[in-house]
Amino acid sequence: MRPEKRSLGIPNTLSQHSKEPRALVEKVDPTMKMRIREIIKSSVLGYCSLGLLSGVLSRSGNSEDWTQFRGPGALGASATARLPDEFGGDASKNVAWKVKIPGRSAGGAIVVGDQVITTSSDAMDQRRIRLVSYSAADGKLLWEQQWIARGRPYCHPVSANAAPTPVSDGKRVFAFYSSNDIACVDLQGNPVWYRSLASDFPKAGNDVGMSSSPVVVDGVVIVQVECQGDSFVAGLSAEDGSILWKQDRPKKANWASPSIVKLPNGKNVVVVQSSEDLQAVTPADGKPVWRLELPCSTIPSSVADGNRLIVPAGGLTALDLSSAGEPSTLWKENKLNSNACSPVVAGKNVYVVNRTVLVCGDVYSGKILWQLRLPDAKQIWSSPVVAGDRLYLFSMEGLCFVVALDGEEGKIVQTNKIDDEVLGSPAIAGNAMFVRGANHLWKIATQ
Amino acid sequence: MIFAHTFRVVLAFLVLSGMLARFSVAESTSDALSTLRSIQPGDDKAQQAAAAASKQLSQAKDLKLMEVLKAMKGASPIGKNWLMGLANQLYRKSDAASKPELTAFLGDTSQDPEARYTVYRWVTDNDPETRGKFLDSMLEDPSLEIRFDAVAHAILKSEGASADQLKRILDAARHPTQIVEMIEKLKAVGVTVDQSQHMGFVTSWKLIGPFDNVGSDKFDVVYDVETDWLKGAVKERYSGKNGETQWLEHTTDSKEGQVDVAKLFNNEKGCIVYAATIVKVPSAIDCEVRVGCINAQKVWVNGELVIANEVYHTGAQIDQYAAPIKLKAGENRILVKVCQNEQKEAWAQDYSFQLRLCDATGKAITWNP
Repeated sequence: MRPEKRSLGIPNTLSQHSKEPRALVEKVDPTMKMRIREIIKSSVLGYCSLGLLSGVLSRSGNSEDWTQFRGPGALGASATARLPDEFGGDASKNVAWKVKIPGRSAGGAIVVGDQVITTSSDAMDQRRIRLVSYSAADGKLLWEQQWIARGRPYCHPVSANAAPTPVSDGKRVFAFYSSNDIACVDLQGNPVWYRSLASDFPKAGNDVGMSSSPVVVDGVVIVQVECQGDSFVAGLSAEDGSILWKQDRPKKANWASPSIVKLPNGKNVVVVQSSEDLQAVTPADGKPVWRLELPCSTIPSSVADGNRLIVPAGGLTALDLSSAGEPSTLWKENKLNSNACSPVVAGKNVYVVNRTVLVCGDVYSGKILWQLRLPDAKQIWSSPVVAGDRLYLFSMEGLCFVVALDGEEGKIVQTNKIDDEVLGSPAIAGNAMFVRGANHLWKIATQ
Repeated sequence: MIFAHTFRVVLAFLVLSGMLARFSVAESTSDALSTLRSIQPGDDKAQQAAAAASKQLSQAKDLKLMEVLKAMKGASPIGKNWLMGLANQLYRKSDAASKPELTAFLGDTSQDPEARYTVYRWVTDNDPETRGKFLDSMLEDPSLEIRFDAVAHAILKSEGASADQLKRILDAARHPTQIVEMIEKLKAVGVTVDQSQHMGFVTSWKLIGPFDNVGSDKFDVVYDVETDWLKGAVKERYSGKNGETQWLEHTTDSKEGQVDVAKLFNNEKGCIVYAATIVKVPSAIDCEVRVGCINAQKVWVNGELVIANEVYHTGAQIDQYAAPIKLKAGENRILVKVCQNEQKEAWAQDYSFQLRLCDATGKAITWNP
């Protein structure tokens, strides 16, 4: 993290860009100065300044950012991050900061520059849906936004209306909720657009709670809204929220998130899975690229690892994406079964969580390499993340199992406890891990 | 000389463009607010126009927080969310709206309820003492969100309260969870409240079935009983899934008005059951019918289909589905079609529904069976 280099100091930035105009003003009649200043301020230069300001403050993605559910490439891994083994507990060891956020969340946080951004839902029936940004450096609140859920906000008590993880394209943040409200703000939290998909498609929804996290690619925000009512995947313009395309999907409940896959020809496709199929579509227009009648899991999501697509289907199924056309099956292993967490790929291994057992497989063959029981874990919803040679896996009750991956077999080197429920997958940026608990946001880093 | 002349031309352009910009912004701020206030679902051109209007307003120098908050009154539900984004931006970045202005807005119950709740949170989120003072006087607030918080606040303070004080909180409560909590508190001090009556649940029904729903594809199949009921002329017996079937009278004693269809129809799967009732009101009344049902269901009131959800086993709760209705003076005929599928999982065996009649705030209306 380099927060000092990416400060959102708006006054400083304005001042920097107002130097040249001031030099121009000095050359004209002094009696006109004030008026001209005012005119300039309110017209051409005002617009120029805004343009420059937005240019400076908007930023493209940074390799250290964690801009979506499961981070860069949705791999859930950072090769370079170094996180502490031990944290939390009564002494709050290596807890750099912790902030309480009103309401509840079942999603994860994202990191964009020096901002940690997350959602929450609170008030009556969790109808108030919020998007909040904190300084990664010190946990200070930077901005917050809120809307009112226009779809049904109901969900299982364990979940929350704020269940999907938000996503950013480096210039904007897109927040999606179980109630099928979606909103876009810029990196200063200013509103860009809002849309109620539940108002557009009134039968969209699932009263257990929806949780599919959106993705953004090539200027299109992809939302997967699969349920027994209005069931669809759609591409929305990142600019204004207009619906660019929409494709009907099976009328069955589905909580999996779409994945972005870069094909060998360099083009991106979006892969969506359901209990009936696995389908790739082009982001711009939703045109099918290929479709496999492959019954997939409806909670864990797929992960693209280079030319391989690892799909939670029949345990795990690895598909070969290296050639054009329909992908072929590389391997299938039913013992690499994941009931809730999405698989994580790190190096030559793939990791899944089968209830309370961590299972490691060879990503090239699917062969089971080792299994590790996670003692005292009751329920696990949070997808694990890998930082360097450590895997971090939270149970719902706030236990974090730190598993060393550098030996022949996985070994729990530490079990930490934080005082929060954890349902979302952590975000990693620099040498810090940001954990969105149900009620707090935590920064874990060596102190 | 030429340079000076050129400079004057540029200067004149700047003056003119500044004036024009000011004029056009001043004029279009109102238009932009109107664009946001009126946006309706399913209109992508309106969506694009709203995004442009929001951008313009977001950059407008002369836009005031109070102007945006007041614009929420009468705006469409979607429009209010667009305005909400702007209001948050202005509140965060501007000190133009003083706390007294916001407090006055909060106290003005003619303003939009959702805007007022937003202001209430701004003013009190970091000031529990002020929040408590506000909430003490907001038990009857027209904003259901504020009322919800006021009732929660009163419940927190209710330890040792008299039965009359508890009854006052119950009368103010509209949210089902708070109503149930207050009835329990009253019970603890020896006061019994009929929960199903207090909440307006319909408890007496005539049911008939089962009719075929094997394959879960008969949701839209119109069985004779449905047609006959809607016409107001039902027969005593109908041909059902398992042969001839007849009406069954049932009054539920569930506090939450639950009608256990599975129990009444021998846990039949892949079937449809109809439940019918008549309610009498002394004069015509606008109200709501609210249903909780974990199975696919349709509801008709006086022959008009008002609720339809082809959804099985994805959660149920009181007031899960609601629809505004108008009851006429005298008899009103309500018909519920409840569908069960053939899932075998333990969590997919429930087959029940609950239905209540209340005003738009959730307060039960009075009727006679």
